[in-house]
Amino acid sequence: MRIGDFRSSYAHDEALLVTPVQRAWMLAFVLALAAFPWVGGTYLTYLACLTGIHVIAAMGLNLVTGYAGQISLGHAAFMGVGCYTAAWLANHGVPFFIALPLAGTMSALAGLVVGIPSLRIKGLYLAVATLAAQFILSFVFREWEPVTGGVRGVNIEAAQLFGLSLGSDRAMYYVVVVTAGLMLLAARNLFRTRVGRAFIAIRDKDISAEVLGIDLFRTKLLAFALGSFYAGVAGALMGYFFRVITPEHFSLGLSIFYLAAIIVGGMGTLLGTILGAAFMALVPEVLRGAVSLLSGVAPNAMALLSPVREIVFGALIVGFLIFEPHGLIEIWRRVRRFFHLWPFKT
Amino acid sequence: MDWLTFAEFSLIGLFGGGLLSLVALGFVLIYKGTKVINFAMGEFMMLGAYFVYTAHALLKLPLWLSIAAALACIAGVALLVERLVLRPLSGQPVISVLMATIGLGAMIHGGVDAIWSGQNLEMPQIVPRQPLLWGDVLVPGSIFWSFWVAVALIAALTLYFRFTSTGIAMRAAASDPTTAYALGIDVRRTQQLTWIFAGCVGAVAGMIIASINSLSPALSSTALGVLAVIILGGLDSIAGAIIAGLIVGWLEAIAVGYFGGKVRDLVPYAIVLVILMIRPYGLFGTRDIERL
Amino acid sequence: MTTRRHALKASAALASLSALGMPLRALAQGNELVVGAAPPITGVFAFAGVGLNAGVGDYCEWRNETQGGVAGRRLRYISEDSAYKMDQAMAVFKKLMAAHKPPVFYGDSTAWAKAAAVEVSKLGSTMTAAPSYASELADPKKVPYYFMAGPTYAAMVQMLLTYINSQGKGGKKPTVALVYSDTEFGRDPIAAAKESAQKLGLEVVQEIVTKPGSADVSAEVARLRRARPDYVIFHGYVLAPIPEFMRQLREAGLTNTRFMGTIWSMDKASADAMGPVADGWMGVMPYRYAHDTEGAPMMKAMNDFARKRRPEMPYTSTFYTHGWLVGMTFAEIMERCLKANKPLTGDNMKAALESLTNWDTGGITGHAVDYRGHQIAAGRIYRYDLGKKLYEPASDWIKTV
Repeated sequence: MRIGDFRSSYAHDEALLVTPVQRAWMLAFVLALAAFPWVGGTYLTYLACLTGIHVIAAMGLNLVTGYAGQISLGHAAFMGVGCYTAAWLANHGVPFFIALPLAGTMSALAGLVVGIPSLRIKGLYLAVATLAAQFILSFVFREWEPVTGGVRGVNIEAAQLFGLSLGSDRAMYYVVVVTAGLMLLAARNLFRTRVGRAFIAIRDKDISAEVLGIDLFRTKLLAFALGSFYAGVAGALMGYFFRVITPEHFSLGLSIFYLAAIIVGGMGTLLGTILGAAFMALVPEVLRGAVSLLSGVAPNAMALLSPVREIVFGALIVGFLIFEPHGLIEIWRRVRRFFHLWPFKT
Repeated sequence: MDWLTFAEFSLIGLFGGGLLSLVALGFVLIYKGTKVINFAMGEFMMLGAYFVYTAHALLKLPLWLSIAAALACIAGVALLVERLVLRPLSGQPVISVLMATIGLGAMIHGGVDAIWSGQNLEMPQIVPRQPLLWGDVLVPGSIFWSFWVAVALIAALTLYFRFTSTGIAMRAAASDPTTAYALGIDVRRTQQLTWIFAGCVGAVAGMIIASINSLSPALSSTALGVLAVIILGGLDSIAGAIIAGLIVGWLEAIAVGYFGGKVRDLVPYAIVLVILMIRPYGLFGTRDIERL
Repeated sequence: MTTRRHALKASAALASLSALGMPLRALAQGNELVVGAAPPITGVFAFAGVGLNAGVGDYCEWRNETQGGVAGRRLRYISEDSAYKMDQAMAVFKKLMAAHKPPVFYGDSTAWAKAAAVEVSKLGSTMTAAPSYASELADPKKVPYYFMAGPTYAAMVQMLLTYINSQGKGGKKPTVALVYSDTEFGRDPIAAAKESAQKLGLEVVQEIVTKPGSADVSAEVARLRRARPDYVIFHGYVLAPIPEFMRQLREAGLTNTRFMGTIWSMDKASADAMGPVADGWMGVMPYRYAHDTEGAPMMKAMNDFARKRRPEMPYTSTFYTHGWLVGMTFAEIMERCLKANKPLTGDNMKAALESLTNWDTGGITGHAVDYRGHQIAAGRIYRYDLGKKLYEPASDWIKTV
């Protein structure tokens, strides 16, 4: 049971890790993350890298859609912008740690442009505008051959950091984890500031927010730009990770995947992003394991893996929306509350 | 400027727009009735076509019976969807319902892929194929006749909404559910009916498109291009859906005819962006008035 | 607690139990040779993928049954669906690599093969193949660990163009139109094709690109019709939208236009499905057809095995034949390495592959195979006979490259 949790200063009130127990758990988690590649093996490290990238991208989407309430169906396209920018920069000799933020900035610019319609439209109409942006950017990825390599795609050299090649999955894992940690911390801090609170105000009732003096247009644009920055960084990391990218990576399906991730995880929460992205990334693996078990019994089970994966994906979205609208984080909070209050019930 | 070529592309586009209008009508019906954009419309289209295929090619029923059976099954699916998915989510924010329809679409798409596999299947012919030749301008028969099927269906629905009591009840419930309840109209029933109509309309469009080309799960992605039609026409305007369908169909055919198949995907969305910047509520849509 | 919560908890527990299924499968027998694959069993290429998967897998089984495997070691075929999505194929590749380190691997597409080439070169442990005949991949220097069981797409189109050129009557050369899909697969041979046409003096009157999986091609057909080509070459498709193009053009009055395709459109089932408009459909195939078993002992053995093992498959498709031949090639290069007491590394297998200069495939291909260029640089033009519902040869075996 949690005891001794009283705040005696503003700094303490605003702190992220309040009790010693929390700090201990966080330390244990960080140590586990650091040790993971040595324990998990190559395939799990690969999965972990992928999950990390998904977490960063999902955080970006949560900024736009979860916190600021602007539905964005074009998130994958922004990832693509970041990825192709990073690829172009890398192939022109720009080092990794400069290319990464530049890619994010390029994506942020794209996000600004796509956010312009938010001046006049909102809700469903804005969602359709972002959908249009997704398709138009996909078209650009496929056709602008000199820069994006067209349908063939583009190859990227492995990242180099202080002369060390970051080609292996293990090295990329650390890069991804550190970047994800930094970006999540930045996002968390954003919501202790005026800007972050303005996002939440816009989501809840934007006309009231305007009445209170928040510049709607600027804030919405900022939301799009920030969300796209995160997407761009995630996309650039994806490029360095896969080392080969084609336009079909950044399709509408990926945008929907991220939307599903934040809905399943819990919109408008940081932990929800992590939980949702990890959950959605790992469900296909669990499914594959289940189907392998089954294919001992029914030999054609493997052919059904893809359709079943899609059915499960859709069922998860619908199921969470109907039964657990606040997402996985609500389940997490219940569990935490149980432990905080134990041995009392409520 | 080759006027004959232009005329040919234009006619193909205009007649092809009939099917687009039909699918747009499905979207508009659901939006008017329940304020939901049904992103699973493409899957309804696909499902309708697959039902016809199963009834006709696998169960060997005659064509008219297959179509009737398929429509009945789609009505059943629409009922189920409305009851199990949309009803629990009524009143939830826009994004929840939107994602629910997307999730639903994914489930149906996966289900179809699992049951019928991803292969291209040959549908029975539903509309006559013989092309019409006026001088040097050739219009494929399937496009031409599907246009008239769409016209007939849209006319029938418009008359239904105008003159039958159920139709009027549906319109009443769509425009103001609270007052409709007060007047004794069962709003839940009208919403169910709306979904059934939209599902059937989509299914008819789907089976015609599948019979023109081939049947495969990829059919469901054609519905996304129809979003441009409803944005252009206005999300809640039936007349808008019809006119916008013709316009978008024409623009697409002209673009593809002169610039090649690559731009087929781009045209609807470019239109969407332009419309959203200039006239967000479309040609005929009603302006959203938000009250605090 | 409500029953809903109970149900959710139970299903979560069950799901996590099934995650145990992963390490269980990974317990491979020590002495087996793993043949890894990520075929496109579902998705847009499913039509072909099912056959490809069956072909490679069945060859491995047949080899185990009749010859006890390769150099005394049994072959174990492990495949997982890629749904024709490149990232999924990559994930399967990485997973199988991590779990089993297969010496040979069969991918799912042109996109995957090009993407994986860099990774495979770095790993240096695996020889790969895929259902891709992209010209870039038939390069022993740049892509050392890839081979294709046929000629390149560019070579196939060139064969078709040469045939068209020979059909010119009265000094007038026939006109040609190219219809291809907007994918890596579809775009691959087009530049080379236009160059070949120019060299032969053939005019390419129209070039039509279709979006993959598009439903309505009427506008594209209208554009094609106005050009009135004598020959139309389709590339980048398995079946759709070729029949729709053919039907609409015939209905529009172009009764003399001939239609041709490349390897993946040349399966009997596809032609049967086209209906009456398939009469005269032609294309390039690097293999013999399954019904052509005269003097082809391996073809016969393949057919017998397929009939016995898969009674639901009424005939042996070209995809199955391709898979079988890839399996044969994998087995042959592994056998040559093992018999020479060399370990199964990429370089050794590459050398073994290139030592196949006059390899008799037992009748699956028309002539003995020369793999020095990492491809089978030969093929024949076949024509579909509507009456017999079979493909008949329309030319001799032509060597390309």
